[in-house]
Amino acid sequence: MANSAVGIVFSNLNNNTLSRLTRDRTVAAIPFACRYRLIDFCLSNLVNADISKIHVIANYNYRSLLEHIGSGKDWDLARRQEGITLISPYQTASASGGASVFSTHMEALKNMRQYINEFKEEYVVMMDSDCVLNIDISDVIAVHEKTDANVTIVTKVPDGDYTSKHPRMFISSVAGKINNIAMATAASERNPELALNIFVMKTSYLRILIGEAEAYGLNSFTDMLMKKYKHSNYRTYCFTGYAASVSSFLDYYKYSMQLVSDTEARVSLLNAKERPIFTRVHNSAPVVYTSTATVENSLIADDCVIEGTVINSVLSRGVHVAKGAVVKDSILFQGTEVKRNAELNCIVTDKRVTITEEVKLSGNPTMPFFIQKDRRV
Amino acid sequence: MYCKKECIAMLLAGGQGSRLYDLTKQTAKPAVSFGGKYKIIDFPLSNCINSGIDTVGVLTQYQPLALNEYIGNGATWDLDRSRGGVSVLPPYQGNKKSDWYKGTANAIYQNITFIKQYHPDYVLILSGDHIYRMDYSKMLEKHKETNAACTIATISVPMEEASRFGICNTNSDDTIYEFEEKPKKPKNNQASMGIYIFNTKTLIEYLELDEADENSSNDFGKNIIPNILANGEKIIAYRFDGYWKDVGTISSLWEANMDLIGEEPVLNLRDNQFRIYSRNEARAPQFVGKNSTMVNSMISEGCIIDGTVVNSILSGGVIIEEGAEVYDSVIMDDVVIRNGAKVYTAIIDSDTEILAGATVGKKNADKSDITVIAKGSVISPEKA
Repeated sequence: MANSAVGIVFSNLNNNTLSRLTRDRTVAAIPFACRYRLIDFCLSNLVNADISKIHVIANYNYRSLLEHIGSGKDWDLARRQEGITLISPYQTASASGGASVFSTHMEALKNMRQYINEFKEEYVVMMDSDCVLNIDISDVIAVHEKTDANVTIVTKVPDGDYTSKHPRMFISSVAGKINNIAMATAASERNPELALNIFVMKTSYLRILIGEAEAYGLNSFTDMLMKKYKHSNYRTYCFTGYAASVSSFLDYYKYSMQLVSDTEARVSLLNAKERPIFTRVHNSAPVVYTSTATVENSLIADDCVIEGTVINSVLSRGVHVAKGAVVKDSILFQGTEVKRNAELNCIVTDKRVTITEEVKLSGNPTMPFFIQKDRRV
Repeated sequence: MYCKKECIAMLLAGGQGSRLYDLTKQTAKPAVSFGGKYKIIDFPLSNCINSGIDTVGVLTQYQPLALNEYIGNGATWDLDRSRGGVSVLPPYQGNKKSDWYKGTANAIYQNITFIKQYHPDYVLILSGDHIYRMDYSKMLEKHKETNAACTIATISVPMEEASRFGICNTNSDDTIYEFEEKPKKPKNNQASMGIYIFNTKTLIEYLELDEADENSSNDFGKNIIPNILANGEKIIAYRFDGYWKDVGTISSLWEANMDLIGEEPVLNLRDNQFRIYSRNEARAPQFVGKNSTMVNSMISEGCIIDGTVVNSILSGGVIIEEGAEVYDSVIMDDVVIRNGAKVYTAIIDSDTEILAGATVGKKNADKSDITVIAKGSVISPEKA
């Protein structure tokens, strides 16, 4: 039987820290892992758990997101009942401090209160589109049910020395039960788990939270959780696979590169047989490698033509690497043209960038260089 | 509900394709993989939608399961319509007799009711075993301009091969005065591509006549076209000069695949103005590992390549392990080629595993000597 749950996806409440990538698009529409957009992972996680009623909350700059989602057909979400609904921004009385549209999760939730009141489904799964992972949401719901939790938050103990550019929720738990939550930029001994901002709760409990937020004039969902966890059964579901928590351009670069350097990460995100990641279908031709191509350790999308050298890179659809050109440790978005003998090292190009003949550009793994959409170098 | 279409297409997809041997043991020919991510039937169906034809009847008979599932509701080609769209037309039991489709003409005859539903002025007849990109609307334009009863698309073939085709002998104004099916001594090299446009009235009239003739083999090339000509009606040749290939044999299927690669491929699928649509399988992007060498090849989504791939076409989800080598071959979906295995000049059908150290095919073999491995095989070193 299908899960009786609704998905709510926040498309872009953390836009400001990814300014370069979000100049022309919302966070959810940022290209990732060569042929996907960030929101594909949220939608696929939900769909793979048989959740087919999904609300996507848009805030601003969501044109490319609209175009990407279309009718929802590519995720099997073009349904007469259920399916995908985009909640577009509108002026609201509950927006904070003079802002004209909602700017926090709780404001957005207050705004869709009517919808939430009408949900017949027992559970709500909320997620942010800046956390990228391939997770079995049915299992999260099952554990939530079994432990009789009020709220279950998916977390991960971050690899290495993860530091977020803006404060995120860090948590400590004992046998899954949360005993501390704090906002911080890095994990600490006290709070080792990073929240991946996937929240599972009963629809009725979400209604209670929204009601209390309205009553107390609270506008932050996080504040709400921090206020309540001590007296309730709030639990973590600690995830151990690959999870990207994209809080900055550098994060974006690092997590993308991890997919080519770390087989386990790649398999965890992209090659889980029972949980494929769906995306918009473009019907482009397979990749063409000519007799002069050399490729190593790279993810390459359809419609690319490779005549040159590509090493440790992620190439989106329709990228052309001409003869003699060398692309290393770089991420090239859709339609990038790298002309003859050009060389790229630690470069991220936005859509349809052209690198002309003989041009050599280099960034550094700790400071990759970004080239805006449609630029010609 | 009354529904009127100017032109509908009838796609003959029932052929067994016995000359494709193991590849069509469990699959109808139109559902055979081609060019990495495509199936043969993607070409005529994409041509239809790209030519503005949104109503297509697909006549199936032999091993229709994979084909039916692949066509689904037609959404892949934008043919999921509430009026028209794609309809799969298998043979069925009528109140008088039950009949398999006896020949190409009989297959259409049995579906005259389907055609009449749409009140079309013209009916386009297509085959499901050709690789080509063609704008049928241009052919229809010529058909209308010349007031023909029937228009046949033709293509120049090498003279020495002409006796394998239906040959159209034409006057200078492209009217056909004689149609010879597989002539021993062809008079010219204008071969029928098996693509016809008929005025609906003419088509139905001749199909009914043909059905009444007990000696007829119920075939368009052998019976219908000669009968129309014999009655002095106008048939026009529409000369097509693009890429076209009948992929009814192992060697032609292999050759057509090879036409996709090379510095200047003979068949270029990267044309965004005339896309070929195919069903998407939601596979991961392809990953190319450290030890790979890829030369002159076309590789699809979901492949993981860590070996050597030269002059080859790989469908989705193929795994080439480190040390494995593939030359001049067509590898279909989800094939695994293990460490140290070698594949030369072969067509390997889906879900096959070539075990470590095995060798398949002959190095630099001629196109007449292509090794075919059936779906789901496991090839071990001793066996090969």
